[in-house]
Amino acid sequence: MAVILSIQSLTKEFPKDEKRLVAIENISLEVQDGEFLCILGPSGCGKTTLLRIIAGLSKQTSGVIEVNKKKVSGPGSDRGMVFQEFALFPWRTVRRNVEFGLELRKLTSKERRRISDFYIELVGLKGFENSYPYELSGGMKQRVGIARALANEPAILLMDEPFGALDAQTRNQMQKELLRIWETTKKTIIFITHSVDEACYLADRIVVMTARPGTIKDIFDIPISRPRDRASIEFAQLRKKILEELEREVFSVPSTITGVEEKI
Amino acid sequence: MANGIKTWFKSVIRILDKKRVVRFSISILSLIAFVIIWQIAADISDTEYLPTPGEVLDAFFDSFVTKDPASQVTMWQNIEMSLDRFIIGFLLAMILAVPMGLLIGYFWVPGAFAKPLIEIFRPIPPIAWVPIFLVIFKDVWGPIIVILIGAFFPVLSNVVFGVKSVEPHLIDAAKTLGAGRATLFTKVIFPYTIPYLMAGVTIGLGIAWMCIVAAEMIGARGGGVGLYIYNQAAIGRFDYMFAGIVVIALLGLITVGLASFVEKRLSKWKEVR
Repeated sequence: MAVILSIQSLTKEFPKDEKRLVAIENISLEVQDGEFLCILGPSGCGKTTLLRIIAGLSKQTSGVIEVNKKKVSGPGSDRGMVFQEFALFPWRTVRRNVEFGLELRKLTSKERRRISDFYIELVGLKGFENSYPYELSGGMKQRVGIARALANEPAILLMDEPFGALDAQTRNQMQKELLRIWETTKKTIIFITHSVDEACYLADRIVVMTARPGTIKDIFDIPISRPRDRASIEFAQLRKKILEELEREVFSVPSTITGVEEKI
Repeated sequence: MANGIKTWFKSVIRILDKKRVVRFSISILSLIAFVIIWQIAADISDTEYLPTPGEVLDAFFDSFVTKDPASQVTMWQNIEMSLDRFIIGFLLAMILAVPMGLLIGYFWVPGAFAKPLIEIFRPIPPIAWVPIFLVIFKDVWGPIIVILIGAFFPVLSNVVFGVKSVEPHLIDAAKTLGAGRATLFTKVIFPYTIPYLMAGVTIGLGIAWMCIVAAEMIGARGGGVGLYIYNQAAIGRFDYMFAGIVVIALLGLITVGLASFVEKRLSKWKEVR
């Protein structure tokens, strides 16, 4: 497998009052083509900032990001993004949301239709082409979000807590659907979450982050074959291991600053 | 076909809905009560200043077929002249206010530049400009410019507000899908502001309508419903004067109705949110 995304010593600082707030510090990571990578961390650990920089929506203070050996310097069609707030264009129907990127690429309406038909069916929204977002449930909205990102045919799909706004039932359903879509499209997925269960269910690898400043604490390979059974012993053990890792992180927040210095 | 019958059936049921019927009857009742009180007041006062509803209705129909002695035109021509001023003034207001609103709302330099000017000029009642505009722009363009000013500010402020309320994640989504600055404007920011724009248009229409009557009374020539009302009062034809007021009321209802119809169609996606 080839490396599709490489991040080298990435740091992001925000000006805060007179001082500078370090959001993420010295992150280096390589992602394989076709990999399902989950980034897991407590809130405020900078995982969304990291994803926004990969997407090109935010600029790093220092460090380099390369997609297919090409430096990232802004948003690009090689990376698609799915948002927690769905971010659908409310005045557009499902079809026209999915075709947004295709319109910008000046495809003919026939080509657009062929591609949008394919992805709308892939995410299971056939029959809802002409519905407006307000007519859809949360889970259906996010299906549109996924179809819209995929229609642009990106190499990497970036997902920022995409199921965070959904209820538990829908969330589990969407996780299954996402794995099915991932297996059909063979996309690389970078998935942000703060749910240990979600990360364990989905990921090939889990990156656990620390908070303030956000750094990589540990990376876990998940050897369990899919479909994963949440009730199985190995799943429970894995979840316990990662939860402990994460909890150590969360409960040690007041002393993180010194903790990080020790580690460095 | 079966579907058509089904929706027709549904709409009949909806019309038969008890609460709707009651509400509609009460509305009709209020109109009837108004006419009765008017009739009684006219009978009791027995002055030429307050004609009866019947007299006004007669004058209303007559004004469309006979020329009025003051300006030698029929009501049709008065309406046409008023509408001409109204449409030109309103269109000019839109042409200026929409791009300016987008600019002021999105870019901070034009925004900071325009803000004090807007704050100073917006609270001035447009009618205050009538005397000076009649001197500068004469009787043809004077009333038009007054309408322009009246409609300009509500449309402008609403567009600015619309641009400022565009949700940031929509901008992010468009960027990740390949939108540059120009397409961001045409495909995200502008469509997002349309419901705000239409709300501004509805307010602007009401204000413009007040402006035209006032402006015509003070200084239009040749005709116009405002001028007509003024002239009829001056020559003592009060039944015809009230007929002019009825015309203004009807035209106002039609324009605002039209605007809210368009608003509903264009803002369909926003209704249920």
